[in-house]
Amino acid sequence: MAHDGIVLEVDAVSKSFGALAALSKVSFAVRQGQVFSVIGPNGAGKSTLFNVISGLHVPTVGRVRFRGREIAGLAPEAINRLGIAKTFQITNIFPEISVFENVRVAAQSRARESGRLASLWRLPDVEPGTAELLRAFGLAAKRDELAESLSHGEQRYLEICLALATEPTLLLLDEPTAGMTPGETKEATALIRRIAAARGLTVLLIEHDMSVVMGISDRIAVLHFGEKIAEGAPEQIRNDPQVIEAYLGPPEA
Amino acid sequence: MWLLLALLPALPFMSKFYLLLAFDALLFGTIAMSLDLLMGYTGLVSFGHAAFFGLGAYASAVLLERGIVSLWACLLGALLVVGLYALVVSFFATARRGIYFALLTLIFAEVVYTFFRYTQTFGGSDGIQGVPSPRLIGDVAIDTPLRNYYLVLVYLGLAYLACRVLVTSHFGRVLVAIRENEDRTRFLGYDVQRYKLAVCMISALLTGLGGALYPGRSAFATPDLMLWTVSGEFIIMVMIGGLGTLAGPVVGGAFFVLLQEKVSSYVDWYFIVIGLVLIFIVLFMPRGLLGVRDLLGGRRWRTTA
Repeated sequence: MAHDGIVLEVDAVSKSFGALAALSKVSFAVRQGQVFSVIGPNGAGKSTLFNVISGLHVPTVGRVRFRGREIAGLAPEAINRLGIAKTFQITNIFPEISVFENVRVAAQSRARESGRLASLWRLPDVEPGTAELLRAFGLAAKRDELAESLSHGEQRYLEICLALATEPTLLLLDEPTAGMTPGETKEATALIRRIAAARGLTVLLIEHDMSVVMGISDRIAVLHFGEKIAEGAPEQIRNDPQVIEAYLGPPEA
Repeated sequence: MWLLLALLPALPFMSKFYLLLAFDALLFGTIAMSLDLLMGYTGLVSFGHAAFFGLGAYASAVLLERGIVSLWACLLGALLVVGLYALVVSFFATARRGIYFALLTLIFAEVVYTFFRYTQTFGGSDGIQGVPSPRLIGDVAIDTPLRNYYLVLVYLGLAYLACRVLVTSHFGRVLVAIRENEDRTRFLGYDVQRYKLAVCMISALLTGLGGALYPGRSAFATPDLMLWTVSGEFIIMVMIGGLGTLAGPVVGGAFFVLLQEKVSSYVDWYFIVIGLVLIFIVLFMPRGLLGVRDLLGGRRWRTTA
């Protein structure tokens, strides 16, 4: 059922690891330009969902469509080339090369030479786009430092820069503010929102901290023990009794 | 540096013996440099480079023995034989990582060694002996130590140029990314196995071409060239020279060859001495011999957090 404006469609996806059902029949659709958040307590299946969408896992049952095209089962690199980029919950960068080289290697993945014979002797010029990204995330002054020497917050930003440098149309953010202080978190969410709007990105965000998503999401889905228990606008989710129960535990008998 | 190497034979003490020693130093330096593409840049440790070297040597020796004495034919033969073998090895080895990659390259190399050692087709344990010198063009034979020296010097120069261009290219940057974080590289849209396959092939072919030059100098190709200890020596050459520097492993290869020659001419238990020197280098010069130059030259020391 292709629908105009739907970028990503997760259709009755289940994923089991042995006897453990990490996801059962999860469905939702993300529209063009939306910031769509998936929330849930730890262990709700959020990261498994991302791994299915980004190609690390093949769903046991169900389909994932990106712009109408079936992508479940494609390799991560193929999915990235279609325009889906993912950031990682645990910072996943190239530690012993410079900040600039980190972003460069991501950006050149979209260069004309990439995957061609000419890439053996040519080095594409990705300087403008790379410098602009580093500026946007306040990393311009650190471009020649080794990535591992950055502070935690800066590494989280570099993580997002790597994903954005591959020029995605859909950005998957896995707890982008993990480990940040409340102040940093606020700043980061505002930045993400601004950059997503400026680049016309569709964003799918995973978060276990509800306060982060309320401010920036257009729509929210809630996972609990691998099942979607609610979906709606932030206001609806905030007041949903089932969601409150999942987060705070059942009301006292 | 290149000028010094080019003028080396003019030095008064450069006898034929020393010219051949210099040939070995540069040849193994070139091979160590080729291996550095894998070890230093891509983070893959091959324990089977001796097979690429040995197959190159055999390809060339077999042709020379049969009267096909053109150097170019020998190089082409080595390219084909080593290329075919490397394609098979790389295909299986690059599907695995870390220790499995190392073990697969080792196992394949042992199979090749065993084949040449225990079948009589190519002379068994004696190998192929007494082959004629290859011809460059027409009647110009590479038949003196001096000519052999310049041949390997030219090969080193070309291989260095190729490797240098490669590591500064788009391709080279992706190799480093694979070394740093293979999983993340996939999520940036790179087909990692293709890159690993390509760099294995390039490294193997450069090593194989080096092997093809060997019978011209020694007039033989024996299974001992493919022993796993030879692969181990290649790895040591890269380590002592300095990983990921290209020039370092050239220095490391040359140093190893000269050290082995010098020490073994004095004592029988030269391996112990070499071992001690290597332990010293690894412990106290973690960036290898080339790292010392960087220190003296006042280059920015790598800042670690």
